[in-house]
Amino acid sequence: MNIQPPKRALKLLRWFCSEDYIEEIEGDLIEIFEHQYEESPRRAKRQFTWRVVRSFHPAFIKSFQKFNNSNTTAMFKNYVKVSWRNLKRQPFFTALNTFGLAIGMAGALLVSLFLYDELNYDKMFAGADRIYRVNIDNMTAGEVNKYGAVSGPLADVIRSDYPHIDGVARFKHTGSKLIRQIDAEQNVKEDNVVGADATFFQMFGLDLILGDKSSAFKEANSLVLTRSAAEKHFGLSEALGQEMLLDNDEVYLVTGVMEDLPKNSFLKDYNVFLSVSSFDDHASLAWNNWNFPTFVKLKEGASEADLQAYLGTVKDRYLLPWAIKTYPGLTIESLKEQENSENYMVFDATALTDIHLHSPNISGDFNLNGDVQNIYILSFIGAFLVLLASVNFMNLSTARSLKRAKEVGIRKTLGSHRSAVVGQFLTEAMLVTLLSLVLAIGMASVALPYFNALAGKSMVIPFSQVSFWLLVLGASALLGLLSGSYPAFIMSKFSPLKGLKGGTQTVGGARTRSVLVIIQFAVSVFLIVGTLVVFRQISFIQGKDVGFQKDQILVLNDVSAIGDQVNVFKEEVDRLAYVDRTSLSSYLPTPSDRSGVTYFPEGKVFQGESAIIIDQWHVDFDYIPTLNLNLISGRNFSKTLKTDSSGVILNEAAVSMLGQTPESVLGLRITDDLSNEDEMHFYTVIGVVKNFHFETLRNSIDALSLIIGKREANRMMVKLKAADFATTIEGIDDLWSEMAPGQPFDYYFMDDSFDETYKAEQRLGYIFITFTTLSIFIACLGLFGLAAFNAERRAKEIGIRKVLGATVTQITLRLSSEFLKLVTIGVVISLPLAWYAMTQWLQEFTYRIDIGWMVFAIAAVLAVLISILTVSHQSMKAALSNPVKSLRSE
Amino acid sequence: MSEHSLGEFEELILLLVAAHNHEAYGVLILENLEEKLNKKVNISAVHVALKRIQNKGFVESHFGGITGERGGRRKKYYAITALGKKVLDRQYELRTSIYKQIPNISFGQ
Repeated sequence: MNIQPPKRALKLLRWFCSEDYIEEIEGDLIEIFEHQYEESPRRAKRQFTWRVVRSFHPAFIKSFQKFNNSNTTAMFKNYVKVSWRNLKRQPFFTALNTFGLAIGMAGALLVSLFLYDELNYDKMFAGADRIYRVNIDNMTAGEVNKYGAVSGPLADVIRSDYPHIDGVARFKHTGSKLIRQIDAEQNVKEDNVVGADATFFQMFGLDLILGDKSSAFKEANSLVLTRSAAEKHFGLSEALGQEMLLDNDEVYLVTGVMEDLPKNSFLKDYNVFLSVSSFDDHASLAWNNWNFPTFVKLKEGASEADLQAYLGTVKDRYLLPWAIKTYPGLTIESLKEQENSENYMVFDATALTDIHLHSPNISGDFNLNGDVQNIYILSFIGAFLVLLASVNFMNLSTARSLKRAKEVGIRKTLGSHRSAVVGQFLTEAMLVTLLSLVLAIGMASVALPYFNALAGKSMVIPFSQVSFWLLVLGASALLGLLSGSYPAFIMSKFSPLKGLKGGTQTVGGARTRSVLVIIQFAVSVFLIVGTLVVFRQISFIQGKDVGFQKDQILVLNDVSAIGDQVNVFKEEVDRLAYVDRTSLSSYLPTPSDRSGVTYFPEGKVFQGESAIIIDQWHVDFDYIPTLNLNLISGRNFSKTLKTDSSGVILNEAAVSMLGQTPESVLGLRITDDLSNEDEMHFYTVIGVVKNFHFETLRNSIDALSLIIGKREANRMMVKLKAADFATTIEGIDDLWSEMAPGQPFDYYFMDDSFDETYKAEQRLGYIFITFTTLSIFIACLGLFGLAAFNAERRAKEIGIRKVLGATVTQITLRLSSEFLKLVTIGVVISLPLAWYAMTQWLQEFTYRIDIGWMVFAIAAVLAVLISILTVSHQSMKAALSNPVKSLRSE
Repeated sequence: MSEHSLGEFEELILLLVAAHNHEAYGVLILENLEEKLNKKVNISAVHVALKRIQNKGFVESHFGGITGERGGRRKKYYAITALGKKVLDRQYELRTSIYKQIPNISFGQ
């Protein structure tokens, strides 16, 4: 029969299959092949190859003993020796290759560490994949607002209702606390204190170093510290059983010490945990107390969909009956009507492991979430870096190969197989990769602290983990193999005859090399454009008029520590020389307290469609002038008018939500007091302020109402007059220690806090700029190497040109223009891609720049300029050389 | 029992070898198996199973003569050993004895 199975597959089979089985397996495979061939020859061939691959089973492959005969070992040793000599003989190329590859690998290593850290966020908790956070979705006029903190009674309801859970734990945010040992004088401020249920330790699988986790939170006023907090306050061994004073009036007993929480968990910043039963409202049956972030842990095998479905029913069964009972005006009909007008609430759940990367920040969150978009961007950058570096490697190796034509010729003449030549070159590639790896790990360790600062992380290279080494070595071997195989196969193709004659051996892959250079520069230009756009967007945001004064405003924290004397303190500060104005409020246009309420206009109370749910800030009389807010109609609160304590000032967004104009809204009465229908308390609108940006510029401006403060203000803004801030701050500090002895004096400048809000973008910008620099550097290394090689290869041509009268300029231009052509093509390809990608990125911002042609022009010019600088040095060197030198030989 | 253990797939192969004693070889077993199971099976799975049961001593093998087919490769024929037969018998007894203990279960409505 004249049909043949695929030769390569058969060769492969014979190569790996042991003698004992080859006849049987080969025979069977061929028989099947012959059967199938009658139906479809192509399918038969494909399947034959597949079967060969499937036969690659440990039971059938040749034992390694046979490979490991003395001959192979000797050859391998020889490969290494020759490779080493070769690398040493061309130190310039070796250094270029190793260095370029090492930079790429170091960059990729750092990026991988970052990705690993981010992707494992919150996954260290016991059964993390079964833990869910319960949210409340507040639907207002078709727009969903999610809150990560829910009603207090919900946890008990779930516990008694829903059988498929392993545990429920509530938290309660309490913000910062002043804390001290009971007999110490000086308070210490702990920024992140949180209340937690007794079930918390068990559910999240956290063990206590000291104390008993099952009883630690049994009692009210129990407190558990992390190791570092315990060391700060007492020293580890003495912590247990100590009494601590919080905010100067509550006594807590330290019942446990736990290990510091992992840096990539939602609890990373928290040091002090209080038993939730210490809070007055922990057992309250009120469902409108949205203060408890609640987590549930499903039983193994329980379904998320079922949990979601169950949570969907909670509102109708518990929340609504409670609301109807509590608010006399509400009926089931009015509530249903409200739902039909797209204003309603519903409970649902988010997986714990999705919170960090896959959900936007919502109130109730424990810390700032990451963004999965950044993960994508960084993975791309990491892949780009490795791609660039291996492209360099391939380019330089193939380019250099011309010099090795003789060697290949001799090897082949002396009886070397092509496979042996491939082996030789692959060994060289692996050796370079290994050198690069060592260098890369060194570089990465040195750069890690800087990278940590850049990315806001505290990562370490896991040197002690076997899996890390396996991964790194495996990846490097793969990289070496991939980038080494192309040059190896090109070079092993050389004809020995041509190689030995010394004639013009055409180096294969000139076209491939061009494509590779184009790719490198396309990537670099893409990154340059990205960097420019990110930085321009950041400076646009920071320079944008936000509608309030943020410069020269000092914010003092925790002024409530002064107690009743706070107004005296305010007056004293006002009297200081360089203080312009002061204002007391917990609510600032920069990150601070927020609270929302539902207002109804007079005459339309309890009519679903006329309700507006907007922010309500408690401020004082000086608030608007201190922040220089712009009143567009009406007036500010006045101390002399008694009625202003029930006045309200709205922003433009709130006015338009009410369907009014800034003029017509004045005098309108609105209420948020739903508890008593007969004697409702109304606010009268007395003024309208121009919209100002109190959320980040990513979002549009929300509706806002300002009322005269009914809650204790915890912050004080101090507007400063002149430049000598230090003296003024000192003056305030003196007043502070006088009136609040033992309380930490804690202040910041408002514009710093404002800038802080854009840290994520800034980080992205710096990360971009770092890796852009790296990638351009790598691309230039490659170009430099190629230019050097090109000049060397064309030495004779240049010599002849010079002899025939070409000028240095002409020759330089000639040599450089080839590369410039490639660079230009790269630029042209990448610009539209960069435009598209960056336009997508900007979509996230409500207020954003137009990218404009300048960015592209700058990027293009930069890329071309850098490449000219890189190439021209080599070209000029070649052009200036004495033609006699290059023409003399032969 | 552990040294005489027999996986489900191995048992099927062993049964087929026994059914075509001295005539069974890779492709024949494969085709029979695919017909009985009514699904595609990979030849390498058959090879691996054959090797395993041979190492356990349940089957023995010998080569046939060279023919024009199969690219001139000889067929390797398998035959069941006494031990193999004993294992099969025991397996069969065990299953039927347990099967008989099943009470009359009705799944109807």
